Amino acid sequence: MKKRPNATAGGRLGGLIVLASGAAIALLGAGAAQTDSRTPASVAGMPIPRSSPAAPPPPPAMQPWLLNNPAPVVIPENRANPVAVADKFASRVKSIEQRAALRAFEGAPPTVPHPILDLNVQTCRACHASGLTAGDKTARMVSHTFLVNCTQCHVEATPDARDADMPGNSFVGLRASGYGGTRAWTGAPPVMPHTVFMRTNCVSCHGEHGYDGWRPDHLSRTNCMQCHVPAAEFEQLSPTFGVQDLPDGASGPPAAPALVE
Amino acid sequence: MNAVIDRREFLKQTALATATAAAAGGAFSLPVLGGQEGASLKWNKAPCRFCGTGCHVMVGTENGRVVAIQGDQKADVNKGLLCVKGYHVGLALYGRDRLTTPMLRKDGRLVPISWDEAINTIAIRIAASPKTFALYGSGQWTVGEGFAGNKFMKAGLGSNQIDGNPRLCMSSAVTGFLSTFGVDEPPGVYDDLDACDVAIMWGNNMAEMHPVLFSRLVDRRSRGEKVTIIDFTTRRTRTSDLADHLLLFKPHGDLAIANGVAHLLIRNNSFDRAFVEKHCNFRQLGAKPDEKTPPDMLGVPMTFEEYARAVEPYTPEKVEELSGVPADKIRMLGEMFGRRDLKINSLWCMGMNQHTRGTAINCLVHGIHLLSGHFGKPGDAATSLTGQPSACGTVREVGTLCHLLPGGRLVANAEHRKEAEELWNVPEGRIAAKPGYHTIEMFKRFNTPTDQGGDITTLWVQVTNPSQTLPNLQRNFLEKKSLGDKFLIVSDVYPTATTELADLILPSAMWVEKNGMYGNSERRTQHWFKLVEPPGEARDDCWQLIAVSHKLLEMGVDGMKGRDGKWIFHTAEKSGREVPIWNWAHYYDVNVDERLFEEYRPFTTKKHKNLAPYQEYVKARGLRWPVVQQPDGSWRETRWRFSEFDDPFVAKGREFQFYHSVSKDDKALIWFRPHEFPPEMPDKDYPFWLCTGRVLEHWHSGSMTRRIPQLHRAVPRAYVEMNREDADRLGIRNSEVVTVKSRRGQIDLPVWIGGRGDPKSGEVFVPFFDETRLINLVTLDEYDPYSRQPDYKKCAVTIVRKG
Repeated sequence: MKKRPNATAGGRLGGLIVLASGAAIALLGAGAAQTDSRTPASVAGMPIPRSSPAAPPPPPAMQPWLLNNPAPVVIPENRANPVAVADKFASRVKSIEQRAALRAFEGAPPTVPHPILDLNVQTCRACHASGLTAGDKTARMVSHTFLVNCTQCHVEATPDARDADMPGNSFVGLRASGYGGTRAWTGAPPVMPHTVFMRTNCVSCHGEHGYDGWRPDHLSRTNCMQCHVPAAEFEQLSPTFGVQDLPDGASGPPAAPALVE
Repeated sequence: MNAVIDRREFLKQTALATATAAAAGGAFSLPVLGGQEGASLKWNKAPCRFCGTGCHVMVGTENGRVVAIQGDQKADVNKGLLCVKGYHVGLALYGRDRLTTPMLRKDGRLVPISWDEAINTIAIRIAASPKTFALYGSGQWTVGEGFAGNKFMKAGLGSNQIDGNPRLCMSSAVTGFLSTFGVDEPPGVYDDLDACDVAIMWGNNMAEMHPVLFSRLVDRRSRGEKVTIIDFTTRRTRTSDLADHLLLFKPHGDLAIANGVAHLLIRNNSFDRAFVEKHCNFRQLGAKPDEKTPPDMLGVPMTFEEYARAVEPYTPEKVEELSGVPADKIRMLGEMFGRRDLKINSLWCMGMNQHTRGTAINCLVHGIHLLSGHFGKPGDAATSLTGQPSACGTVREVGTLCHLLPGGRLVANAEHRKEAEELWNVPEGRIAAKPGYHTIEMFKRFNTPTDQGGDITTLWVQVTNPSQTLPNLQRNFLEKKSLGDKFLIVSDVYPTATTELADLILPSAMWVEKNGMYGNSERRTQHWFKLVEPPGEARDDCWQLIAVSHKLLEMGVDGMKGRDGKWIFHTAEKSGREVPIWNWAHYYDVNVDERLFEEYRPFTTKKHKNLAPYQEYVKARGLRWPVVQQPDGSWRETRWRFSEFDDPFVAKGREFQFYHSVSKDDKALIWFRPHEFPPEMPDKDYPFWLCTGRVLEHWHSGSMTRRIPQLHRAVPRAYVEMNREDADRLGIRNSEVVTVKSRRGQIDLPVWIGGRGDPKSGEVFVPFFDETRLINLVTLDEYDPYSRQPDYKKCAVTIVRKG
C-alpha cells in the first residue's frame, strides 16, 4: 500500500510511532538515504548494540557520542549499522505495543494481564518485587516506591472478550513515541520522555526484566538521573490556567488564625 | 470524522503512514529538542469527577480532546496519587453512546427534537402546574448548578419540591453533625489520617471506596510509622486485609458497640472529665417539655448521672451478645479510647449512614469521641466520608434539599427565609414555609396516580440515576411506566435506567466540558475551568435550568422576577448591558459559574462556613472553609473547626468553642441512643441478610465507569458474595446463577464464594453498579426517621437455586 505520510499522523505524534514493525525492518533494510528535513540535526547518538547480527561497513574511528564535541562529523547511525538500528527499532516498536496494550494512555497505571487470585500484597511482591521472566512472560519490577494497596490502581484486565455488553469508548489516549528522549545535540544524554513521578525505579523498564530496546549499554551505572533529566512538560511545573498557584496544605502547625472585621 | 476515529483504527493508520515514511527514507533517528511531540499537549487541574475524596487530577488535552490524566502532585488531598477510576476519569467523556441531542417521547418512541422545543416543553409543563413540579438533583451537581436550581425552585417558583440524591447517601451524617454540634460537616480533616495512631473503620471498606485516603493511611507504615487499623465490618473486605483488628459484627450491632465503649469509659473512669465538664452536655430523645411536640433530633437534656445509668447495661458481655464482637475486643477498644496519649480517628461512610438508626449511630460515635476528649486535635477526630464529589459543596452547603436554604438555613424558619429573600433580592414571602417532599416521598408521589394523592406530576432529574439507585424500585419508581399523566425529564450524559423511563431527555455537558466547582468531604471547595467542548448538542445542566427559567419569564409565569423587576438570573456586563445567558450562544460570554458563586458567597457566613472569592479558588487546589481573610490580605483556610489553635471563630482562651451549639452554651452534645433491632431481619422464609454497596472499579450506578474498558473489564458484572459454609449447605457452586429474592423483588446473579469480600455465614453482598442486574428491586425502603435516609445495607432475602 503506497501512502504518503499525512499531516494527521505526523502531527499527532510527531511521526514517531511505528507499529508495523515487520514492514519497518524490511523497508529499512533497503538502506534509504536520510532525508528528514523537519529535524535538522536528526543524527543518532544512541550506542549501537554490540550484538548486531551483521556488520556491513565498520564504524568510523571517531566516537560520535564524545562529550564536549557538539558538532562532530558523524555518520548517521542508520547508515553506519542499519541492521542494528532496525533491530533496536523493531524491539522498541514491539515494546511500545506491549506497554500500550495495558494502558489507556501514556502515564495510566497498567492493568493486570493475569487473574488476581490472592490480594495479599506479598503475592504481588513474589514476582513484581524484583522482576521475573518465565518463558515468554515477564513480570516487571515495580516502578515506584512499594505501596501496599496494589489493586487501588492496578486492576485485572482479563483477556477474554467481556466488552460485548459495553457500549464502547472513543477515547484516544496520549501515546509515547517509544523512541527515547530528545537530545540537545548528537551525543548528549537523552532527556527522559516521561515523568519520573511513580517511575522512580528506572530498572523497572530499563533493566534486566524491562523492555527490549530500552536497555542501555551501561546498566552497571545506577545513578540514572545524574545524566538523564525528566522532560519538564510532564512535571506539572507550569501554573494551570496561566495563574500562579497557591501552595496547598500547610505542613507543620498552622499559623495562628486572625479575624479581620 | 477525526472525533470518532477509534484507537485501533488510529494506530493502524499511523503505523501505515509512518512505515511509508520509512520507505521514503524518513525519520529513523532520535528526535532532538524542539520536536513537535507534546507541543500542543496542555495540562490543567480539575478535581476528579468521581467520589467525595476530592483528589485533584491534571487533565492533558490536545486538539480539543482529553488524552491523558495524571495525579496532581500539588494537591494536598492525593499528593499525586489517584485510584484506578481517577486515572481513567478522562475516558468517562468518550463512551460511544453519549447523548447528543434532546429527545422527546412521541407515541412511545424517543425522537430527536430541537433545544427550543425541549425548553418550551418543560416550561409549558411547569407553567400548567408549578406546585406539582419537582426537581431532583445530585451530589454531582456543581456548586453553581445546585445554587441555580435552588434559587429557581425556592426563590422563583416559591416551591420547596427540590431534593437530591445525597438524601440516599449522607443525610444521616448531616443529622449526626447537627444533633451533636448544631452545624453540619466534619470538624476534622484528612490531615488527621497523617497524625492518628488508631484509625477505626465503622462499617467502612475504605480500601475500595476511598482508596486514595486509605493509601494515605497505610502508606505511613511503609515509612516506618505505626498506625493501628481497626476494621468494624459485617464482612471481610480488602480493608480487613490491612487491618490489625478485624472485628466482625452483626448487622445493626454498631449501636451496641458504641454504647459499650461509653460504658467502659465511665466504668473505668477513663473519660476526659475536664473536657466533658467544660465543653459538653448530655442529650437523649424525649418528648419536649410542652409534652405535645414529638421527639426530634435536637432531643432533651439529661444529666451525666442519667447518661451513666443509660449506658450501664452495655457491659462488654452484653455488647458481645448484641453485636457478636468478642467482649475482650470491646474492652480493648474501651481502653484505647480511655488513653489520652493515643490519637484516634473514626471514619465512616455508607455503613453508618444507610441505616434506619443512622442519626443515632452518627451521634453515638461523635459521643464517644467527645466523652474521651479525642476531639479537635490533629489525629483526634470523627470524620464522615462522602460518596459524591459535591454532596458537601453543593447539596449540604448550598442546601438543595426540600427543607434547606443556602448556608445552613431552614425553610421552616421565618428569619432564615427573610434573610434568603433579601440576599436573593426577591419579594418577601416568596419562599414557602413548608418543607417539600424528601426523596423517597417525592418519588412515591410521582409513582402514585395523581388522583390517588400522587401530587408530583412533572419531575426533572439532573445528574443522577434514581431508576437504579432508589431502594425498592418497583414501589418507588417503576410504576411510572403505566401512569400516563406523569412527565419525567432527565438530564444526563448517557442512556441509563432512568432515561429509559423518561418522556424528555436532555443531553448534558459533563465535568471539564463546563466550568464548575465541587466541595469534598473535608470542607474543601474546588474549582475547574471548561477544557473541551461537549459533544453534539450537549449543554450545561445549569444553562438548562436558566433557559427554562427565562422561558417561564417570557410566558409571564409568577416568580421569575426579583424585587427590582428584573429576571432572577439577570446577568449584566460591567457596562450594564444585559448578557442573554438564556441563549446558549451567549452562555459563555460571561463566567456564569463565577457570577453564581459570588451571589452564593454572602449566604455562607451565617454558619461560619465562609468562602473566599472565586478567583482565589482558581489559584488553589481547593480551600477548606471557613476561609477567612488575614491582615496581609491573603485568604486562610481552616483545618480544625471549633479548636482555638486553628479556627478563627473560636474566642481567645476558650480552647474549644462549639459556636453553633444546640444548647446555646457553646457546648457539644453527647447523646445516648439505645441499641435497637432493624425493621426487617432474617427469618425462616428469608434467612439471609442482604448488604449492598460498591466496588473499587465502579462508581455508583456505573453509567460512567461501565463505559471505561479498563474498569468494565475488571468487574464486568454484578455478583452475589456468599459464605462458603452457606453455599455448601445449599449445594451451590461458585459462579452458579441463583435468584436473590426478598419480599419486594428478585434478581438472578452469579455466586462468588471466597471472592473479593467474604460475608459471614447468614449474610450475602451484592454490588449495585450493574444496570443489567438491579439489586434495588430487592432492597428495603425503610429509612431513618430524622435523616430520611434509606437503609441499603440490611434487609432479609432468600437464595434460591435455579432449575
